Amino acid sequence: MPSVQPPTEDSASSVEGTSHALLAFLQSQSQNTLTRLYQKPSSCLSIFRLLGPLERQLVMNLLWLESAIPAPTMAAWVTSEGKKAYEIALSVLSRLHVLPQYTVKLALNVTFKTSLRQAITGGGTSGSFGAPAEKDGKHPTPSIETLDTYALERWETILHYMVSSGTGRNPTKPSQGVLYLLQRSGLMANAHGPSLQITSSGFQFLLHNPHAQLWELLLQYLRMAEERQMDLVEVLSFLFMLSTMELGRDYSVEHLSPTQTAMLEDLRDYGIIWQRKPSSKRFSPTRLATTLTSSSPPLPTSSGSGADGQRQGFIILETNYRLYAYTDNPLQTAVLNLFVTLKSRFPNLVVGAITRDSVKKALANGITADQIISYLTTHAHPQMRKNVPRTHRTKQKPLLPVTVQDQIRLWELEKNRVKSQEGYLYTAFASQADYEYVLNYAKQLDVVLWESSAKRCFFGSLEGHPNIRGFIERRAAGKS
Amino acid sequence: MDKASHLSVILDLSPTQWQLSAQSNVSHPLTLSTFVSHLLAFLNAHMACKDDNSLAVFGALPGKSVMLYSTTTPMDEKAVAADANTYRPFKILDTTITQTILDQIESISDNDVEAPIDIVGALTKSLCYINRVTNPANSRSEDATLLPDPRILIVSVSPDQSSSYISVMNSIFSAQKLKVTIDVCKLHVADSVFLQQAAHLTGGSYISIERPDALLQFLMMSFLPPPSIRQLISVPTQDKIDFRAACFCHKNIVDIGFVCSVCLSIFCQPVPVCSTCQTKFPMKTLLRLKAAHPHTPPPGTPPLRSGTPANSLPRSTSIAPGGTPRQVSNGNPNMLPVARSNTSATR
Repeated sequence: MPSVQPPTEDSASSVEGTSHALLAFLQSQSQNTLTRLYQKPSSCLSIFRLLGPLERQLVMNLLWLESAIPAPTMAAWVTSEGKKAYEIALSVLSRLHVLPQYTVKLALNVTFKTSLRQAITGGGTSGSFGAPAEKDGKHPTPSIETLDTYALERWETILHYMVSSGTGRNPTKPSQGVLYLLQRSGLMANAHGPSLQITSSGFQFLLHNPHAQLWELLLQYLRMAEERQMDLVEVLSFLFMLSTMELGRDYSVEHLSPTQTAMLEDLRDYGIIWQRKPSSKRFSPTRLATTLTSSSPPLPTSSGSGADGQRQGFIILETNYRLYAYTDNPLQTAVLNLFVTLKSRFPNLVVGAITRDSVKKALANGITADQIISYLTTHAHPQMRKNVPRTHRTKQKPLLPVTVQDQIRLWELEKNRVKSQEGYLYTAFASQADYEYVLNYAKQLDVVLWESSAKRCFFGSLEGHPNIRGFIERRAAGKS
Repeated sequence: MDKASHLSVILDLSPTQWQLSAQSNVSHPLTLSTFVSHLLAFLNAHMACKDDNSLAVFGALPGKSVMLYSTTTPMDEKAVAADANTYRPFKILDTTITQTILDQIESISDNDVEAPIDIVGALTKSLCYINRVTNPANSRSEDATLLPDPRILIVSVSPDQSSSYISVMNSIFSAQKLKVTIDVCKLHVADSVFLQQAAHLTGGSYISIERPDALLQFLMMSFLPPPSIRQLISVPTQDKIDFRAACFCHKNIVDIGFVCSVCLSIFCQPVPVCSTCQTKFPMKTLLRLKAAHPHTPPPGTPPLRSGTPANSLPRSTSIAPGGTPRQVSNGNPNMLPVARSNTSATR
């Protein structure tokens, strides 16, 4: 049995370790766009929060300085083990144009500096944190529960539509705008007939955490915004404004630009904002909006799954591949159904088993073994976490039974038993010496994939062919 | 690495010291209001770093200590007007802290002004607060990664009160146990012996700020990085630490003290009976110690290093030869003269 290497880092740390998806998008934008974006204090504050800890500290070190400081002075603050992280942080900041140049002297982008200072000290006239709406006696501000229920319902409608698209059942359809977004992002496609089918990236999407899912859709929205001739800066600053707003408060639409007013409709469909009616002069951000740049969970407790079922996790996995999920949420059940053979259902419990067939089906859908394992880990029941002794935490004692983890990975490896590679077969060498001479040359180039001296032939990769061919031709020419 | 961090700030709000600090004959005058505006920018920056960072501010006033602000206590939402130009959590923080500082200073009566500043009270309160934050009673998940990374910043303007030596040391040991880093920002007055030790023993940094006009930059560069970042960014630590202790009898800071060999109490002069554990010391040792150490260190004792390098913990400079404590054998208890003992206040 081949040994299975556990992944070097678990899912939680790999999500945190990589920088935010939005930063990569921002880095691809022009300097002009970014500088315009940095005019809003709320945008600067949100971008600042998305940065890594060391980058944040560097920005803060430079924020209150009036003049540029020489690079060696700043480098003196970094310990020897932090040198590499420091270099990376500088290059990230420079690609964001927050730190335009860092080789000789360090100074923040002037626009960014002014705006972030204003965000921290307050004041100014930018109004970028959202104009609060006047008190309205007739229609009181919706309560936080109302907003949570609304956001959750909208969000689960989207996910539920995706997960059950292939099963023949007909769940509630999200709005046309959402469907278009799902199609454009490649999460769903109408490959077979008119109705949309979930794609393999769509299956992978379902296993992400809500925060990552939300940003994946929003990034797609941003890319679409460019095509729809919307001003990207307006779109981004509106998203950032939403992320700095306060839950349970309503804001006026009066100071929004036309682009931003147009966005209200889309964002309403995703459940990011709430409006009493489309023509309403006010809107309230939901928890999906206010947690855009934070690490707190963007969705409240899942409907019906108990007080804190969602956050606490609900899955118990045993060494005999049996799985018990304490949930009555149809979405969670549907997601589990992607890689579990469900056996029986009770009002608050779903029992199933992870089988070769169920995992094969998931793998065929494009889900990877690591995604299944990370989904099971993040949603593990507190009872399973209890079994992990505190002292062993540092040694990364696995939460899930090792047998099951290994088996899921082995099933994935089964899929990859045959690997194909293009290349050329070299045969019919005149003599053994000839054969070995060419083979040696090919080996030096490291292009030999397979060889058989008995049959006097070898197989070389595609890249190596021009060289080998040239070599044989030169040799033939030399002989004659 | 990138997890939430908790910051408790202890403000020394001594009216006398702030009055002195604001006077124009000081080389760099700093008024309380300028200081508060710098501080608020720093606190906002801490809150800006991460959405789930938490903050608690304690004020040390003459004779009492109060909590000025914390992110966990619900605030009166209506009291703070909504404003499109300011991030609302910052606005709430700024308004509340300014208001509570004003209220507290107003409420100081003339009789109280000269009372000693209750730094220890504030320190203890903040430790209790951190204990509550890091050990939530109702949390069933024991996931240590979710808990914030706590630290305390003491902004001090008053000189040491030697009477609080034991309580300060006990707080330091509690902080060590809770894995809390104590940072000290000292303004104007001479170095504080006890706070230097607090910062050193908990792995924090002690910075005496001579140029208060650059206060904000000092705060940002030295006190903003949470302990997890300090492996990468070096924060200044002091290279010389005053390790002297205060005696238990007169609460004086002593260069050379005498330690009871039974309970480790420190005295500034040889005493016949230990005031803490009632151990009687033999007359012979007492006389010898008195003869050897009236006021000058005895020959053979190395000169006292009041500024000992931080990395070499000073040992007792000389130990009187003699028997072991009475409880152990038949020998007589001795008073041991020491320069300073790290463990002397653990009792």
